[in-house]
Amino acid sequence: MVLRSDDDGRASESLTGQNTSMGQKQNTSSPAPVPAAIADAELVRACRSGDMTAWRSLYDRYAPLIHRFSAALGIPAEEREDAAQDIFIAVFRSLRHFRGEAQLSTWIYRIAARHAIRLGRRRRTRETMRVMMLKEKPQPEVDPSERSTRLATLDRMLGKLAPKKRTVLVLFEVEGLSAKEISDVVGCPENTVWSRLHHARAEMVKAARRMVP
Amino acid sequence: MKWLESPQDEAEKLLRDSLDLAAQQTGDEISHRRVWAKVADSLLEPERRISGRLVLATASATVAVLAVVGLVVYPYVGSKRPLTAPATTKLAKAPSSEATASPSSLAAAPEPKWIAPEESERAPGNVVSTGKGERARVALGGGATADLAESSAVTWDSQHRPAIEHGSARLSVPHQPPGWRFSVTAGPYVVTVVGTKFTVEVGGRTVGVEVSEGVVEVSRGSHTTRLAAGDAWHGPLYPEESAGSEDQAASVTPPPSERPQPAPARAQVSPAPALAGKPTSLIGRSLPEAEAALRSGDTSRAIDILSRAAQGTGPAAENASYELARVTRYNLGKPRQAVALWDKYRSRFPNGLLRTEADLSIVETLSQLGDVQAALAEANAFISRHPSSERRGDVQRLAERLRAAEASSESR
Repeated sequence: MVLRSDDDGRASESLTGQNTSMGQKQNTSSPAPVPAAIADAELVRACRSGDMTAWRSLYDRYAPLIHRFSAALGIPAEEREDAAQDIFIAVFRSLRHFRGEAQLSTWIYRIAARHAIRLGRRRRTRETMRVMMLKEKPQPEVDPSERSTRLATLDRMLGKLAPKKRTVLVLFEVEGLSAKEISDVVGCPENTVWSRLHHARAEMVKAARRMVP
Repeated sequence: MKWLESPQDEAEKLLRDSLDLAAQQTGDEISHRRVWAKVADSLLEPERRISGRLVLATASATVAVLAVVGLVVYPYVGSKRPLTAPATTKLAKAPSSEATASPSSLAAAPEPKWIAPEESERAPGNVVSTGKGERARVALGGGATADLAESSAVTWDSQHRPAIEHGSARLSVPHQPPGWRFSVTAGPYVVTVVGTKFTVEVGGRTVGVEVSEGVVEVSRGSHTTRLAAGDAWHGPLYPEESAGSEDQAASVTPPPSERPQPAPARAQVSPAPALAGKPTSLIGRSLPEAEAALRSGDTSRAIDILSRAAQGTGPAAENASYELARVTRYNLGKPRQAVALWDKYRSRFPNGLLRTEADLSIVETLSQLGDVQAALAEANAFISRHPSSERRGDVQRLAERLRAAEASSESR
């Protein structure tokens, strides 16, 4: 639940979550996982034939992944729904180009990672503009729960990493991908993945030590 | 072994725990549903910007090539005319295989020829037809396609529904989003489906429907015949002229299998929205427009856009109906009116994707308004309607507080 003011300025509990803009809200809990009863390849075939049910199944299967990955890559909560929408539209529109050489999840990670990096770039430009225009940064809603505090702390630490290092660390430590899979997602040799991971881990430990005296 | 599984200090422990916490994030169900509703809207729209340019480029190139070819060939061919068609007809060239085609394959379209009319072209009076020895696959919108056999024609009626004018068409309709039904007309009959494959034939004096997959409903006036996979149905093209009643004239041929043969079910036609009314893309564009209006502080314009979009059909109209209430509540500051609008949304989309959200919004708004009794009734209804909802706990706690508030006001 999120505390917010109602029309009369009274504090009240929001059951629907804090709406940040049209069609956007902060997440609060998890949906039930979708059983992977149908193989990805079969699902892709059905999607390509225009089967709306298959599209929905594919969405249900990968929506939690996209949400988690976007969050870990630093897409703010208020932009996450729009990002997920863009990513899925990109996935569905380019599904006909998916050759099945990599796993579907790897391919989706690739699309999501590119999108997150693009959004990050835009966000940084906006930040720079805001600083130049001497505009105040809007204060985000604060969810005081321990879980949210921890995630916010992690986000701050991850935010200090270079985007490439962050992507590798997130894919390895949060998403649980192997170095080989990560090399497919980010398009670099496996050795580079290990190197980025090594540096990212070292930076993260340093950052954590600064936060915990 | 995981990195930092045996942490050396508090900092490492915090880091590992936080990473594990991040790995458990999956987003909430309502957010996922809302994103899906938007994704589905976009998927149902053609790739306008890309295909628009592609079509323009292709058309220009084709005109140029034809002009050159015409100049060179005409003197030799003389007055021999190629295959002709009525003025409004898009013609498909002789195909042979069952290959699937997509808008992306415009450049090298496999046969049967893929025809994807723009939404503006799927209008009353426009006809797509095939001549002798020709076949075509026509995009009907909403992901549905019609494979036109030779000497067949499809047009669009006044409600923008596809109509098989004559000949035979095998239709493939993807499963439609909630609240959305696909209809095609054939003579005086309306064939309504949710998602299936079937063939419609409009012959000299009869209309035939044969179902390959799923269930379809053939209706005329207040009568509906439900057909399952394997069923074939035939009815007179001009029922008024047929001897005897319509019931006698129309017949259902059961599938060749041994399954029981119930008499075709006859029921009142439900007022399900057909694939008609407002063009999908117009509705689909409404939400971003409304969003932009809100961002610029023009709430009344946003309300106006959403109100118009809500009158349409399909997921975008559903979204607009919900958002209309939300904007009324949070931007216009009219909670009572918002509750009425959410209630209207519920009546119109009882199983809509945003139903849970609408229910929660009503509970929340009524409780904020201090309407304890109504809020409690809504909260109880929510708990019984969504027993497995992840929000059940929250609503239950709110209901308990509302009950306590009700009890204290009664004791006073």
